[in-house]
Amino acid sequence: MTFHRLASDAPAGPALGPTARTTKAEFLARIRGEMAKTRGLFPASTAERPAEPRQRLELLRRELSERWPQTLARFRAEFERVAGVFHRVPTAADVPAALERICRERDARRLVAWPAEDLRVAIAPALGAAGITVESMPRAVPPEAERRRLRALIAEADLGVTGADLAIAETGTLVLVSAVGRPRSTSLLPPCHVAVFDRTALVESLEQLGLVLEAWHDGPAPPERGAVINFITGPSRTADIELTLTRGVHGPKEIHAIFVDGGLGLHG
Amino acid sequence: MTEPIVGTPLRQRAAQALGDRFLHEALDIATTKFITLRREAFDDFPEGERLRDRARAIKEATLQRLDEHLETLVANVERLGGHVHFATTAEEAREVVLDIARRTGARMAVKSKSMATEEIHLNDALEAIGVTPVETDLGEYIIQLAHERPSHIIAPAIHKTKGQVAELFSRELKRPGLPADPEVLTKIAREELREKFLTADLGITGANFAVAETGTVVLVTNEGNGRMATSLPRVHVAVMGVEKVIPSMTDLAVFLAILAKSATGQKLSVYTTLVQGPRRPGELEGPEEFHLVLLDNGRIAQIAGTLRESLYCLRCGACLNVCPVYRQIGGHAYGYTYPGPIGILLTAMLNGPGSVKELAHASSLCGACVDACPVRIDIPRMLIELRRQVDEEHIAPWTERVVFKTFARVLVHPALYRLGARIGRVLQRPFIREGRIRALPSFFGQWTKTRDLPPVAARTFQERWRDIP
Repeated sequence: MTFHRLASDAPAGPALGPTARTTKAEFLARIRGEMAKTRGLFPASTAERPAEPRQRLELLRRELSERWPQTLARFRAEFERVAGVFHRVPTAADVPAALERICRERDARRLVAWPAEDLRVAIAPALGAAGITVESMPRAVPPEAERRRLRALIAEADLGVTGADLAIAETGTLVLVSAVGRPRSTSLLPPCHVAVFDRTALVESLEQLGLVLEAWHDGPAPPERGAVINFITGPSRTADIELTLTRGVHGPKEIHAIFVDGGLGLHG
Repeated sequence: MTEPIVGTPLRQRAAQALGDRFLHEALDIATTKFITLRREAFDDFPEGERLRDRARAIKEATLQRLDEHLETLVANVERLGGHVHFATTAEEAREVVLDIARRTGARMAVKSKSMATEEIHLNDALEAIGVTPVETDLGEYIIQLAHERPSHIIAPAIHKTKGQVAELFSRELKRPGLPADPEVLTKIAREELREKFLTADLGITGANFAVAETGTVVLVTNEGNGRMATSLPRVHVAVMGVEKVIPSMTDLAVFLAILAKSATGQKLSVYTTLVQGPRRPGELEGPEEFHLVLLDNGRIAQIAGTLRESLYCLRCGACLNVCPVYRQIGGHAYGYTYPGPIGILLTAMLNGPGSVKELAHASSLCGACVDACPVRIDIPRMLIELRRQVDEEHIAPWTERVVFKTFARVLVHPALYRLGARIGRVLQRPFIREGRIRALPSFFGQWTKTRDLPPVAARTFQERWRDIP
């Protein structure tokens, strides 16, 4: 048996040529060679994928809209179980006041937020009037200097406000798709994250999440879609020191959900 | 291929662990807690058993068409603008990452917890070319500062007290007098590591899954370090074993429903991050370059090998918590990157059966691991197979081989067996104390050093059977 040496053990210098690299064809050929040797495998199948995921999702949405209050109740119970703080407001017009309350309690003065078009509610005017700075992320590609400024701003912010593409009742999970205007770290770097959503985001289970993910990836992605989807279940946590549960190790220490009964929408 | 971490024999390492009272207590508390949390999670989840069967079938079905799924994965990652590399050995995988680090002029790499990069000993290699690797999972960060190795797959620093961590942080981070308070220590780590996340050039992660149909690398963390490492640095490298590929998002939903429950008893870990290539046009953040390193390192040879089933492993750590051997000796005593029952199999996979000639016996074959495993990997079956291989290849010590061979011969010849019982009855007389054999002389003493031996009965079953009228 030959042991490969660690790179740190290897003599440095030009005498060492580049290590021979495996090509994709060689790699796959070795796998096929081994696969050909297998005998007596038991029959097994992968999970059955929906044939028309987008149509199936449409149907599911209609079904869910008939029983959303139960779904919301379960979401709330699970979200609170993972230490989320749940708020409920009657209309989109009440969102800024709810945010202002959260800010006041924490003495938060600097907010970063998704743009109003993505939040589907305008929060900057009302909060601005209350002395809280809201920096909405741009929906256009910023020049490099501006990009750096915005990134620093998110890192310094007291609170990050986002929407939620899905809220999964079974696990109390919020799903956020990154996109132009929806930077990944809005829900990650500030010590407090607040997500605003309405009944259209609710799904019941991880199984339904599977269907939604299939539908989202059926056909080409919309041009503004980003490269990351995050499922967020409670505040950042660790138990790495003597199994003592501690919140906010890298991500937010607190997570809030504001549910809008009357639905979100800028022109409705 | 990887190297053993320590060179002393298993017996010595185990004895050392058994003598460490704190370790013992910490292991007992941690593993008992994980077992309880896992059981409660599944009690609460009636469809769990069905989903475990589904997950197992998905792993097997994926292996049966592994080449196709990998080809689909590669095509989709490349379509999304990522680069895919193929590494046959640990050395090759290290070289791939080092090349990326050199070409991009990286000075610092932030790492999200990854067993694959542990397995290839990436950190030493990065340091050797002047790139500072920073482990960002709190547990991994602690053991990196302490220059130690992880002792549990999902709780790498369970062997350290909060007092030891406070001392370590005070010394290594030049912040004297830190209190032994997990809350304070976690806050210190947050500050230290936040700075690193914002300045590092390279983010290095493993992958819990890779979804072939969508070219998605999936990372599961509780702390959020996986999100940091894939959002802030300008280059992201994910290193993953080939067996981590799964076909579709529907399959992913099945695995997510059981992974966290098996590991920590959570319904879902705090963060599940789906990464689909580098930053897209117009995105404020995300890496400019995304690299996926597909790692063989002994895995491919097991597709048709005796350890095939261990390719189903999700690295949840459930089998460690329930293992009566792991619970006694902890992760370090195993001596390699992967501890516990599954660790023995993975060690044999990476380093050949010769590396586990002792470890293959570090199991009571009780089967608790099979019951705990989310995909029901039959670990005892493969351990027995490994023991046979170790014996056939004459890797086991000759004394052991002679004893087992003699024993086998006695068992299959009734006359010899009866004679053996009669001889044993005479020879054992001086050693019986209160109905047990508690100490045997010389070579045989190895057996009785840690356990009693039941004596041969005054009248054997056969003798009594014969006398039944």
